[in-house]
Amino acid sequence: MYLFIEQSLNGLAVGSIYALITLGLALVYGILGVLHVAHAGIYTVGAYIGYGVYACTGSLVMAILVGMVACSCLGVLIERFIYFPLLKFPPYVPLISSIALFMGMEEFCRLVAGPSVRTFSLELPFPELKFLDIVISPTLTGIFAISATIFLVLWFITTKTELGLAMRATSQDMDIASSVGIDGHRIIDIIFILGSAIAAVAGILVGIYYNEVYPAMGTVPAYKSLALIVVGGLGSVQGAVIAALLLGIAETLLIGYANIPLPRDALAFIAMIAVLLWRPQGLFGKGA
Amino acid sequence: MRNDRAILQISDLSKHFGGLKAVERVSFDLLEGEILGLLGPNGAGKTTCFNMISGIYKPTSGSILFHKKRTDGLSPHQMARMGIGRTFQIVRPFATMTVLENIIISLGLQNYQTIGRSSKKWFTPTTRQKAMEILEQVSLCGLAFKKAGILPLGDLRRLEIGRALALKPELLLLDESFSGLRHEKISEMEKLILSLVKKGISVLLIEHNMKVAMKLCHRVVVLDHGRKLAEGTPEDIASDTRVIEAYLGKGGSAYYATSSE
Repeated sequence: MYLFIEQSLNGLAVGSIYALITLGLALVYGILGVLHVAHAGIYTVGAYIGYGVYACTGSLVMAILVGMVACSCLGVLIERFIYFPLLKFPPYVPLISSIALFMGMEEFCRLVAGPSVRTFSLELPFPELKFLDIVISPTLTGIFAISATIFLVLWFITTKTELGLAMRATSQDMDIASSVGIDGHRIIDIIFILGSAIAAVAGILVGIYYNEVYPAMGTVPAYKSLALIVVGGLGSVQGAVIAALLLGIAETLLIGYANIPLPRDALAFIAMIAVLLWRPQGLFGKGA
Repeated sequence: MRNDRAILQISDLSKHFGGLKAVERVSFDLLEGEILGLLGPNGAGKTTCFNMISGIYKPTSGSILFHKKRTDGLSPHQMARMGIGRTFQIVRPFATMTVLENIIISLGLQNYQTIGRSSKKWFTPTTRQKAMEILEQVSLCGLAFKKAGILPLGDLRRLEIGRALALKPELLLLDESFSGLRHEKISEMEKLILSLVKKGISVLLIEHNMKVAMKLCHRVVVLDHGRKLAEGTPEDIASDTRVIEAYLGKGGSAYYATSSE
């Protein structure tokens, strides 16, 4: 029983990180209708910047802050110079450029930091929690605390504030939103800033959780987060987050309990295919 | 020559799309408190004119002055902030939001400009109160908490006007607000527009329905093939043979002249 709970908690941590990556993708898809594959590239760059800053300064807070700021700038640059000019073309044009950009960013990391795996070994400075015999490690506590904070802040921004209202309006109809005084460009910038900053945090957390940072670390999350926004129901941010949490738990439990000789990621994709066969519009999508 | 009471002055406005001259050297003034009709057959360039005034298109040449300030080339959200509200020919509500939320989005106008203000809560008793007042003006109070997507066309047209009104506009651009409406809905809409003008809002409206336009407008500008064909009071326009020809083709003028006598 304790093993089951610990496994579930590990799964929830993995799921939270998936959710952090997927958030940006879901937000960008919601507003531009672009499948932002390069988001996983931003995540990789974020992890490397975090690793680099931590190696230089020894300060985790600094690492996360610099990573967030740098990735926000990167995200806005990608939006301004690549997606926005390509929006007038059919959706596969920005998609292809996004894939190219993702590969470019991976290779760039390989060039700058080398192809080898960097070990990112530290524990997050959070307390160890104990309930009965269940021990939650500091890193796990940290991941829960950080992702829960991000989800709450984002939920507050999108549902309660004027900015959130403007974001919802812009993602529904940018022309109409601008006719009532909303600067659509600024809203898009803000979305890229938020999404990319969160991706940087996700990259750093993954680096710490698995103790490693390497150039291709974004590849599997890129596919998974794409699948997750479809499973969650395209355009639904809550759907994507819930799908991500479920996936994290499901894949960890499947690995732990089902004796299936398949790698973790294969199980994850089989699970997602099953969901899509059952609900093609996704878990929280509107009726097909 | 130009009128001092003009709130909107259009001079030599042109918009070309490649070789197509959608609007070619059109000029007119809109006076304060006036209802000016923009008429013309399909493809005459009326909506293109609207889109230039509201900032969606940048004019190829010519100038637009709103309160004596040049506004051509500004973007739509800047125009909305200057006090120009508009509706669209094809109604486009924020379909998954409620009618009330649709209005509240417009009420946020002043808050979208700075980060500090846009982090305020959007749903407060005051905004709700203000939004309900606007819904009352456009008689949609009963539908406040319905999703906008399920409303019939007439209500959606009034919702769009409400959304524009929430901007506290000085000038309202109405793009075919009467089209597709049943007879009794048309007279409701006429009453609504007249009540807005009484409150001091100037109105520029595109209208297909000649009868409505002639009844409502103080003055009328007729476009044809992107050019201004005529300008004047509805009575002048109705008897202008060039206008009749543009609408009915040559030969139509003879028919119109005899049937309207």
